Amino acid sequence: MSVPMTNELLSCTVDPAADPAARAEIKALLEACDLSYEPSIEAFVTLSRGRSLIACAGLDKNIVKCAAIAPAEQGESLSLTLMTEIAHLAHARGHNHLFLYTRPDNVDRFRACGFHRLVEVPGIAAFMENTPIGMRGYCAQLRTLRQPGRDIGAIVMNANPFTFGHRHLVEYAVAHCDWLHLFVVAEDSSFIAYRDRLAMIKAGVSDLPRLTLHPGSEYMVSRATFSSYFFKEKNAAADCFTAVDLLLFRNYIAPALGITRRFVGTEPFCITTRKYNADMKDWLQRPDSPHPPVEVVEIPRRTQDEVPISASEVRRLLAAEQFGRIGRLVPPFTLALLRGKYRPGRTPSQIPDPPTRADAVSPRKGPEPYENS
Amino acid sequence: MKLRRSMLFMPGSNAAMLSTAFVFKPDSVMFDLEDAVSLREKDAARMLTFHALRSGLYDGIETVVRINPLSSPFGMADLEAVVRAGVEVVRLPKTDSADDVHRLETEVERIERACGRAVGSTRLMAAIESASGVINAVSIASASKRLIGIALAAFDYVMDMQTERGDGTELYYARCAVLHAARCARIDAFDVVFPDVNDDAGFLKEVDLIRRLGFNGKSLINPRQIELLHNAYAPTVEEVDYARRVVAAAEQAETQGLGVIALNGKMIDAPIVEHARVVLRRAAAGGTRK
Amino acid sequence: MKIVREALAGTLESSDLMVRIAPHPDLEIVLQSEVMRQFGAQIEAVARDTLDKLGVTAALVVIEDKGALDCVIRARLQTVVQRAAEEWTAEWSALS
Repeated sequence: MSVPMTNELLSCTVDPAADPAARAEIKALLEACDLSYEPSIEAFVTLSRGRSLIACAGLDKNIVKCAAIAPAEQGESLSLTLMTEIAHLAHARGHNHLFLYTRPDNVDRFRACGFHRLVEVPGIAAFMENTPIGMRGYCAQLRTLRQPGRDIGAIVMNANPFTFGHRHLVEYAVAHCDWLHLFVVAEDSSFIAYRDRLAMIKAGVSDLPRLTLHPGSEYMVSRATFSSYFFKEKNAAADCFTAVDLLLFRNYIAPALGITRRFVGTEPFCITTRKYNADMKDWLQRPDSPHPPVEVVEIPRRTQDEVPISASEVRRLLAAEQFGRIGRLVPPFTLALLRGKYRPGRTPSQIPDPPTRADAVSPRKGPEPYENS
Repeated sequence: MKLRRSMLFMPGSNAAMLSTAFVFKPDSVMFDLEDAVSLREKDAARMLTFHALRSGLYDGIETVVRINPLSSPFGMADLEAVVRAGVEVVRLPKTDSADDVHRLETEVERIERACGRAVGSTRLMAAIESASGVINAVSIASASKRLIGIALAAFDYVMDMQTERGDGTELYYARCAVLHAARCARIDAFDVVFPDVNDDAGFLKEVDLIRRLGFNGKSLINPRQIELLHNAYAPTVEEVDYARRVVAAAEQAETQGLGVIALNGKMIDAPIVEHARVVLRRAAAGGTRK
Repeated sequence: MKIVREALAGTLESSDLMVRIAPHPDLEIVLQSEVMRQFGAQIEAVARDTLDKLGVTAALVVIEDKGALDCVIRARLQTVVQRAAEEWTAEWSALS
């Protein structure tokens, strides 16, 4: 039998920013395990025996990264200890729902640690979460919002901020399907806060029929699904970057709502978004999948004065306080919100919260879909 | 009198050890709620130990719980849990004076009355881990009728003495002092944990020393050491043979109503008879030395 | 006892279990076990009984079992409830 107490296994929490010596040790261990160090990691759990570091795992918010066990120490019980410690550390840091990326050949090891595989990019990476009822629960919720019809559409929108371009895309989509599910990116890493983006979209589409506005989730264009997991082969990392997000959409979200089409605007400016659109056509429509394909409909951007409308252009004009020109690119509600809350020189802490409208969609916590019938 | 050769330590937070350690049949098990348990797991270890004590898994093995000091935020809750769970012995860490034992005894009695447990049924042992503890060993050892023994704990003691663990020289005085205090009070004496679990030869050397000094037994952290220890404490065939004859002579003297015990024409004192009984108990428990 | 925050207890190691609890409108227990087929029903019964004795009627409880004995299951469930409850009111006598 194993005798844990006599192993003298020492578990520590390391702040990599504050402890260069420990960071160097971690880097060396990752190197030996063919993994790259990720600077975004805020805290590590390390296991040492005597003076040598034998295992580590890091947390980037609620994403477990850089989980490694020294090659000479491979054994299931050590990974169980490591993942127990990371679970407790994450809990102490306020994260209970955890995600991780790993190589497909490590899936069983993490399964033994209570993780469940959501999708796998063959030969490159598997994406897992630490609960059996995460995605399952989310899909069950979505299924209650299914709508009848043959052509069910979807748009995933950041709206940073919401422009006439977004409006145009939604109008087009509504006209080309029986029902449209409109998802707002929930990740709060954009210039405009999530609650404001949600409010702008809600105001901007309130007159359109046959549409459900969904608060975003962690399963869609989030830190978790877009977390770049740096494998040694950097090309694989780039591939994996979008594939996990798109496979989650195709394998879980689309079937839950019966989505058959995903609408997206052409991307003339941003390389990343252009690649996401290209990858979308691949991963959502590949024939070699047990999950039904989702037709990708890419429509040209609406232009203003012969220039495609883009949110980044609006943000540039905002920095220059050119509200007159902004007014030609965005609906009145967006303009008012930008004027009131996002004027340059104002830091968010100085800004009082706007009076909440009685029907405002609550931010993030629990989807409260808004339906326009 | 109970044999207490081996006292197996295990962290009270370790479910795997709690679920299996009884198979190694130590004379006593000590569930540790103190140093082996991280701050995060204090509540969990207390709960786990509570249930291990209630489970019946350890029937036939003496159960000891090392609680946190009563001066810590955890000590009183530990005590409430384990006395109610029916622990046989509460081990008080870091005992510096008889007052520490008195304080513990008062609380134990209060809890016994509150939960309906027979007053006095919870036994105590005191761990001596400091210079003052060693100096006060005599008064500590006789501080309570509940005490079944005192134990020397080396880790804190050597630091208090401004030295470190070595070949045993550093423990020389403390071992002798604790042992004498225990014998004066007619209770058991337990020696320190041997830290290197992979050094069997070193372990056996230390066991030989403390057995010859007169310790009843030793604290252990590795179940593997139990058999080594029990064998080292097992008497030789010759010792058993002699002890049998001593006890037989004593019984014969008693049935014949003689005031003097004689064996082969020599007079036998009461301490020799008592020692012979200990030898036979050790033989009954662990056979003869291999 | 009212569950007011998320909590975690136990480990993933052999003979143990890891349990998470969270506020929830009703009582839902999700059990994963290495010995699901032989002992799944029993583990769930022990968990339910433990929660029942603590008066926990609304919580989401997710258990990852690694072959824990009944006494370990009870201890872990009680620990997680203690960590997640607004106020810990159970008497030791009620915990057996």
